[in-house]
Amino acid sequence: MNPLKKAGRFLCSMKCAMILLVILALACTAGSMIPQQKVMSYYTDAYPQWAAGAIMLFGLHDVFHCRWFLGLTLFLCVNLVFCNIRHFPQLKRRMKAGFSLEACLKDNKRESLCQVENAKTLFQKMGFSKPEESNVEGTVCLYGVRNKAGIWGAWLCHLGMLIIIAGFGLGQMFQTEYTVYGVKGQTKTVGDSGYELTIDDFEIRLRDDDTVEQYEASVTVTDPVTGEKRSGKTSVNAPVSLFGMKYYQNSTGWAAKVSVWKDDEEIQDDLLCVGEYVKTKEKEDLVLMLRAFYPDYARDDLGNPMTVSSALHHPAYLYALYYQDQMLGMNLLEEGEEITVDNYTFRFHDPQPYTLIQAKKDPFTCLAALGGLFVVTALILAFYIRPEEMWAMKNEDGSWSVFGRSKKGGSMFEEKIFEKSEEIKWKERKNL
Amino acid sequence: MNSEWFLNVENVLFTGAMVAYLVSMVLYFVFFAMKNEKAGKIAGWVIAAGFVLHTAALLVRGIGAGRLPLTNQYEFATSFAWGICLCFLIFLWRFRFQALGAFVTPVIFLVIGYAAMQSREVRSLMPALRSNWLAIHVSTAIISYGAFGVSFAVSLMFLIRRKMEGHSFWEIHVPDEKKLDLISYRAVSLGFLFLTFVIVTGAIWAERAWGSYWAWDPKETWSLITWIIYAMYLHLRISRGWKGKAAAVFAVIGFVCVIFTYIGVNTFIPSIHSYA
Repeated sequence: MNPLKKAGRFLCSMKCAMILLVILALACTAGSMIPQQKVMSYYTDAYPQWAAGAIMLFGLHDVFHCRWFLGLTLFLCVNLVFCNIRHFPQLKRRMKAGFSLEACLKDNKRESLCQVENAKTLFQKMGFSKPEESNVEGTVCLYGVRNKAGIWGAWLCHLGMLIIIAGFGLGQMFQTEYTVYGVKGQTKTVGDSGYELTIDDFEIRLRDDDTVEQYEASVTVTDPVTGEKRSGKTSVNAPVSLFGMKYYQNSTGWAAKVSVWKDDEEIQDDLLCVGEYVKTKEKEDLVLMLRAFYPDYARDDLGNPMTVSSALHHPAYLYALYYQDQMLGMNLLEEGEEITVDNYTFRFHDPQPYTLIQAKKDPFTCLAALGGLFVVTALILAFYIRPEEMWAMKNEDGSWSVFGRSKKGGSMFEEKIFEKSEEIKWKERKNL
Repeated sequence: MNSEWFLNVENVLFTGAMVAYLVSMVLYFVFFAMKNEKAGKIAGWVIAAGFVLHTAALLVRGIGAGRLPLTNQYEFATSFAWGICLCFLIFLWRFRFQALGAFVTPVIFLVIGYAAMQSREVRSLMPALRSNWLAIHVSTAIISYGAFGVSFAVSLMFLIRRKMEGHSFWEIHVPDEKKLDLISYRAVSLGFLFLTFVIVTGAIWAERAWGSYWAWDPKETWSLITWIIYAMYLHLRISRGWKGKAAAVFAVIGFVCVIFTYIGVNTFIPSIHSYA
């Protein structure tokens, strides 16, 4: 055979699919064990030199996005496509002509499963309500078939997998995702989409035991072109869809205002979320960062700061002050306390929770969902809609020899025919 | 009746179920090791009683907690053991062979033992878990894992049966290799279908909760690895005739993956599923 043809045949074979699945499973194992998307120094610090080298060489630090992983997935898709193309005519042919009395009678290896007096009753007991009666070369035969659709199970499952992978791949390429955070009343631009998002309200609903029941944000999105506004509420597990984009209540944190005074005159008043910093307007080298916030500040047994509850009972701010990129100091400030450097004074006030809203648009999610539906349906077809054929031939003494076949779980189908025939015989004997 | 009362009752029922599983395991051992058929029959009744107590324990905990008991390590572990027992009883009823219990009860006992070691405290649900998808996603996982547990036990039986050729007790009480292979296949089929449900419903829920239906989180990734292993089992079995020993070994490996997905990922790998 032509080597090219031979290679082509291998690439479309199940053997190739199995090899690909093994490699993908191993890659997934590596991807789950090795922390992903960290900076290079993380791997050189955390692993021996040879291991860190191997991780970098094979792209195992970002295995699910590296080229060879994507290439193998694409390869698997090609394999699935060719597998389905190759099997489609066979299945179509089988659906059309594969289930017939003639085909069953050609199956010479089969032995009669039982002898019964009334074959139609047995057919009915087995769920074949209207068996076809025909005469084949002078012998009266009965034939029934059901669940023919089951043969499409594996084929549809492959198609479903292809749709899922296509939906996921296209989604990764064309989805848009932004994060917006802010406190109640703030308006911010949603990335480069142009839309403006206003946080009308943000509420953290607490239970009696101080645990969080729900985070809920009311938002308004403004279309920059038409000026149209649409509002909605978003909470965890219940995103809101506005202008074709979904808004998720993603996370929350604390923010506080910091006012900067110079010689008893307030020169600025900014809102800082935890992790953010502010540059002093008239002295940009002087930077204040809000490192952490404790709404109900206390110290643990080791003297470390902690919060007793999430209620604003005893707020405290952990700050870091920098001058020309050098840290001047880091300390805790309680409500009302201030820091003074030269003639600048910093004071935190008005702590409040901020919300982080994730805005996302993935036009191909529906495609992946459709693929999922296909796969589930296909598996039900493949495992539980088993094509079954049953036929009977009338003997000279008037009794019937009964046969049956089912490709999946054939022996159990045959056993069932035998059991049902015995049940009928027993009832006949008892005149039930 | 306050929630504490319900939890005390649950504690009694849970302990009762655990003892029943232990007793049935011992009786099945007696049945197998001493060839005592009566012990086998009693073991069947004891495990059924254990299942009833276990079901009652889950119901009572659900009432006491005011939600489905499927949200933390203890609740999932006890439900997992319940799922294996349910699948075992279904397969016992369907295929009628008691000997299966000798291989399934140790698995049930190990899983419920793991549950007993976890904290039984009832905690309020975090917002991410407050979803109707929780019930569908986790209950399908219980059925799936339960069916894989049964396939694991049947596959072990298959592998041991080969060494017991000509042993009269095995010939009488354990189905032939062909039937064991078929039962294992049926259990894997059921587990695979439900595992697919688990992944699909999990993806739908993740899309609503986190904005992304697939994020390569370790739990998701290991579910996919498990899915791939069982998919390979099914392909090789159907298309290349990998029945018998090879299929049994595959089913055992698959269940090891299931256990790692459930316990290993939570224990060893940081994941957004760490509460599960």
